[in-house]
Amino acid sequence: MHIDIDEIAKSFGTTAALHPVSLAIPSGALVALLGPSGSGKTTLLRILGGLEYPTSGRVLFDGQDATGMSVQQRRAGFMFQSYALFRHMTVFENIAYGLRARPRKLRPTKEEIARRVAKLLDLIQLPDIAARYPSQLSGGQRQRVALARALAIEPRMLLLDEPFGALDAKVRRELRHGLREIHDTTGLTTVFVTHDQEEAMELADLVVVMSMGRIEQIGRPQDIRARPATPFVREFITA
Amino acid sequence: MSDTTLSRIRFRSATDERLWVKVVLIAIAVFGIVILVFAPLIVVFAEALARGWQAALNALGTRDAQSAIRLTLLIAAISVPLTAVFGIAAAWFITKFDFRGKAFLITLIDLPFSISPVVAGLCFVLAFGANTAVGGWLVAHGFPIVFALPGIVMATMFVTFPFVARELIPVMVEQGRAEEEAALTLGASGWRVFFTVTLPNIRWALLYGVLLCNARAMGEFGAVAVVSGKIRGQTATMPITIEMMYNEYLSVAAFSLAAVLTALALLTLLLKTLLELRFADQLAATRRH
Amino acid sequence: MASTPRKPLIQRSPMPGLGLSMGITIAMLSIVVLIPIGALLTRGALFGPENMWGVINRDRVWAALYLSFRLSFLAAVFNLVFGVLLAWVLARYRFPGRRLLDAAVDLPFALPTAVAGIALTALYAPNGLFGQYARDIGLALTGTGWKIAYTQWGIFIALVFVGLPFVTRTVQPVIEEVEREVEEASATLGASRLYTLRRVIWPTLAPAALTGFALALARAVGEYGSVIFIAGNIPMRTEIAPLLIVIQLEEFNYDGAAAIGIAMLVISFVALLAINLIHIWSRRRIGNV
Repeated sequence: MHIDIDEIAKSFGTTAALHPVSLAIPSGALVALLGPSGSGKTTLLRILGGLEYPTSGRVLFDGQDATGMSVQQRRAGFMFQSYALFRHMTVFENIAYGLRARPRKLRPTKEEIARRVAKLLDLIQLPDIAARYPSQLSGGQRQRVALARALAIEPRMLLLDEPFGALDAKVRRELRHGLREIHDTTGLTTVFVTHDQEEAMELADLVVVMSMGRIEQIGRPQDIRARPATPFVREFITA
Repeated sequence: MSDTTLSRIRFRSATDERLWVKVVLIAIAVFGIVILVFAPLIVVFAEALARGWQAALNALGTRDAQSAIRLTLLIAAISVPLTAVFGIAAAWFITKFDFRGKAFLITLIDLPFSISPVVAGLCFVLAFGANTAVGGWLVAHGFPIVFALPGIVMATMFVTFPFVARELIPVMVEQGRAEEEAALTLGASGWRVFFTVTLPNIRWALLYGVLLCNARAMGEFGAVAVVSGKIRGQTATMPITIEMMYNEYLSVAAFSLAAVLTALALLTLLLKTLLELRFADQLAATRRH
Repeated sequence: MASTPRKPLIQRSPMPGLGLSMGITIAMLSIVVLIPIGALLTRGALFGPENMWGVINRDRVWAALYLSFRLSFLAAVFNLVFGVLLAWVLARYRFPGRRLLDAAVDLPFALPTAVAGIALTALYAPNGLFGQYARDIGLALTGTGWKIAYTQWGIFIALVFVGLPFVTRTVQPVIEEVEREVEEASATLGASRLYTLRRVIWPTLAPAALTGFALALARAVGEYGSVIFIAGNIPMRTEIAPLLIVIQLEEFNYDGAAAIGIAMLVISFVALLAINLIHIWSRRRIGNV
């Protein structure tokens, strides 16, 4: 699915979090929203996910206006920085949650749900943890469970807020490859937010550098590195 | 443009309920509180003033009413400071030292909350009544406990026992021991550490606990009813006198006295709310709202 | 296998005031709480289990115990539902008068029970404000006027009043701590708001709600002051268990009073223990992240 962001702006009270920004994300791309904190990257991601409503502008999914579409209808696999796993549910119940929450007519059978959860656990290479609670998992395991939970609803896109933010450096590196692999297997259009330029450059097909609620530059990693468009970008990617 | 405005109206945050749901829930909450809390509150003052201000004031001026007010103030003046001293000592012992059986001690301190006030009063009658060994000896030496002031004070302390300690313990746990230890290394004496380091840190929590303790102490009925013997002019506190007047169909008198206690309860709530607004960070975590 | 040295009873500490704080804590706890409760239990032990059973195993006592626990349970259930609703409204919604509503929730804590008792009676008596409506509505619908005061309905309302703050005050801080991201996560996974409330939010609130329920129940079972005025106190029908103790004491039947008092203690503690076990079990399941 390709996503078009058309002159989206967002202000909280009198402070502008996003000045009108536009961006076209091609189908199947892995896009990084890169910028320091307060640059508006998370706000943009939340607007894509339907968690925030833009002050003006439109969001188009496959050319269709999705601005007023509810969170539930969007079917965006959203992963939170804190993962927001349901701590009173097992890993199995967490992953099955989105399928079980469907209205009866659209809900898969019990066996089908179990089969899909098992498949997702294989995909994240943690086949044996279905019965555990989130409190019994390591940080890296939690991250992968959150990813599996987002994938379980057969999302139309993946939206990841600082997917590696809460992890230490070693795990971070391992999981980067994991994410790339999952993206390549599923072919989902994926947008992730990060403040780590190395992470963005290594992982993404397309990097969007943001600052102070504006897009500074859009481009492939090698292009941004070779030809930074503004002094801010030059400084940020060499930091 | 108009398209966006329309969908904007339809957009609802993912963590929000629909407007009509909110309105219904708020309406139920307000209705419930009006019926359950505000209505009885208004009735107290309405009944007290049913025959005008003068009748109410006259009722408060009678000898029974006056002696009840004096007795209640006296009981609060004795029992609340004692409970506060206990609360501070218990909180200090529990939070500054490590010992076995700490959880058990906390359970014992909380015990009065789960015991009926009537059973509490009964306990004192059975422990210190004139027909018991201890009680009989005390009566013979001119120091009766049950059906006298000491019994009422002790019964009042029983029902208010956990208030101050419960308020202080979480606050002192949160603050840790580092500041006291620092003061000790600087050569301060024990009392100096307490008055210059600990007390300033816990004063609002202490006031909060004392406030709740005082409200309960002045209003206690069940335990005092059993232990006091309800002797008119001698052991009849304000709540007991309210009961006696009410049973004698002296409605204005009963409600006038009740209005005084209600005004006190409202004052307590006001001070409590102010403390919560102003010093929320220095009160126990569970009270933060 | 090296044997670990047994943890000392009290660990050595440079903190001052060990003797004093421990002394005050233990001494006051003993005099005010432990000795009186000990006296009750001793009295019961001397009286003997068979004799105690003889006192308790009478229709009038069973009727009173059954009435007290049944109505306390129903009132606590009502408070569970209304208290969670109230906590949600106070924690999540912003509307004019919210602070007043918030403060009003605590009134039953601050208002003396005797005052609440006569105020509720004045409201719900057949000639009272709400009592009149009940009579008229009853006349219109069934031909006989409905009565609230001096029936079990009156007791129920008094017990709802005294238990009102418990659930709200335990649940409210938990609602404030619910992470918005967890609710948002549920929405992004396609769950409706109702499904999120049922499957994600309620399980996090349930332990606190259960604690509030237990506290409200314990309070209601022992409640005396607010109930006796509105109850009518008709044996076998509207006579609560604490009143039986008072009646025994007025007849100087200390053994009988002790027997009923111990019965109430035992039933309350069994109920609290059961609820605590459920609590521990549910907390173990959820764990802590």
